[in-house]
Amino acid sequence: MSLKKLLKDGPKVINIGIEQFYIDHKACEVPTVRVDWKPPLADKELLGKLKKLRGGNFV
Amino acid sequence: MKRVEIIKGEYYDSVTLMLVAKELKKIEGVTEATLNMATEANLHIMKAAGFEVESVNASPDDLIIGIDCPGKLYDRLMEMARSYLSSPPWKDSEEPGEYTPKTLEGALSVLPGANVALISLPGRYAAAEAMKALKRGLNVMLYSDNVSLEEEIELKRYASRNELIVMGPDCGTVVINGQGLGFSNVCPVGPVGIVSASGTGLQEVMVQLARRGIGVKHGLGTGGRDIKSAVGGISSLTAVEALTSDPEISVMVFISKPPSPEVREKIVQALRSSGKPSVTCFMGESPREDEPKLKYATGLEECATLAAALLGGKDVIKAREDLINEYLKIEALGRKSEASGRFLRGLFTGGTLCYEAESIARRYLESVYGNNPLEIGMKLPDSLKPIKNSFIDYGEDEFTQGKLHPMIDPSFRSGQLRIQSEDPSVAVVLFDVVLGYGSAPDPSADVVNAIKSLERKKGPLYVAYVCGTSGDPQNLERQTGILKEAGVHVFESNAKAAIFAAAATEGRERK
Repeated sequence: MSLKKLLKDGPKVINIGIEQFYIDHKACEVPTVRVDWKPPLADKELLGKLKKLRGGNFV
Repeated sequence: MKRVEIIKGEYYDSVTLMLVAKELKKIEGVTEATLNMATEANLHIMKAAGFEVESVNASPDDLIIGIDCPGKLYDRLMEMARSYLSSPPWKDSEEPGEYTPKTLEGALSVLPGANVALISLPGRYAAAEAMKALKRGLNVMLYSDNVSLEEEIELKRYASRNELIVMGPDCGTVVINGQGLGFSNVCPVGPVGIVSASGTGLQEVMVQLARRGIGVKHGLGTGGRDIKSAVGGISSLTAVEALTSDPEISVMVFISKPPSPEVREKIVQALRSSGKPSVTCFMGESPREDEPKLKYATGLEECATLAAALLGGKDVIKAREDLINEYLKIEALGRKSEASGRFLRGLFTGGTLCYEAESIARRYLESVYGNNPLEIGMKLPDSLKPIKNSFIDYGEDEFTQGKLHPMIDPSFRSGQLRIQSEDPSVAVVLFDVVLGYGSAPDPSADVVNAIKSLERKKGPLYVAYVCGTSGDPQNLERQTGILKEAGVHVFESNAKAAIFAAAATEGRERK
């Protein structure tokens, strides 16, 4: 959805991270949903190393 | 007895870590409790607090717990910490039956019309999530810092090609249709549109406009690096164009630190082309001659004053002169004030407020150091050990890796304020208190508790600015009252507080 449409319609927020922002937006009646985010099991660097070890066949 | 313990490979968000630390500190006998992701910056801070961290084997993916308590209590406290981390008691208040999706895709199925993702994850994860959001057609407000320049450029180029915007990284405040996101004050909605590469700069201009009875419709953040040549003002120009096409915006405002020359020219040209009366505030820039429809402010309060004058059809030159006269009176008051000591310490939670105050202090004082100084060569070797006149922004990356921003949890800044107030060479301590949604529930009380615990016989002169409104959850009058009752000199703007503090310190350095 374009920026101009966002400005026209008002915010509908997906909150990924600090929960307090989600709580505040809810209190202000902004349509919002919170993602219960967890870090990936392996980060980019580690995945790269594993790929190398397995000849690029790591899934 | 100070001890540390590492919990390998466990990720917790910084709010959870702050709340667990608070619970542990409530136990009698506990002098200090701190839980952090074991980043290099956090280990440095813990070391400065006296914890033995040099020999620990930990990475940023590990949790480190530091506790200072009598030895017999230690095991019980560690057990409590583990228990709180696995099942936080404060989570019980969550609404029953509330579904919390685990992915962006899940969230889109719950809120199909979503149009913006607010991302406040640790920097190394933030860019990937931001790109996912852009690819699903969402605009992005990227609160996270510690995002690389290359990632920022990639995200912004993608957004630009798809008529979207990336507001950030390090963007704390956005206002859309009068609705604040992130750190936001309760201000009236009105005909002003703001684009800002400075988070607390946007808050200060909105608050100053509100105090002049004027509201803001949109306030779009861009992130501080957007105005540098490497990024080229991608989000700034997108935002200016969007505000230009909104017929309800009568006056436009642009706020940032001085942009690189070519980006500055593009921004100024875009504002001229908008056809709307506009004010720029490139903080710290030398005063420039106004154009018929474009006025140049050098400070945040001046920026709000000029925008208010433009909107009310008033004489802009007179509005500026009146403000300067107010500043001169405050300067005279500062010079008359009594303080013992020689130096000024500016201890800030808001980065732009720190920057503006430091730029003002440099007009009065010979040498001004900082953790993010305005002048090359004035960088403090150690931000935890300020020297002479120093300005510290506790929201800088070095203090926020895996930790909450000091506007959310001001306890670290308060601790540093107490430590520095004990230094007999410190004459004046200048600080900010930022109110609004997202900020701490009672930030003035937090600072005042630190001031009250001072052991120094005659403490420094305390000077503060409270950035907020009566409608903010913390309430401006209540927060100001708490500070005044503790003897703090509170001023109506960041600029005024800085002028008073600098004038009160002027001439003391060589004593």
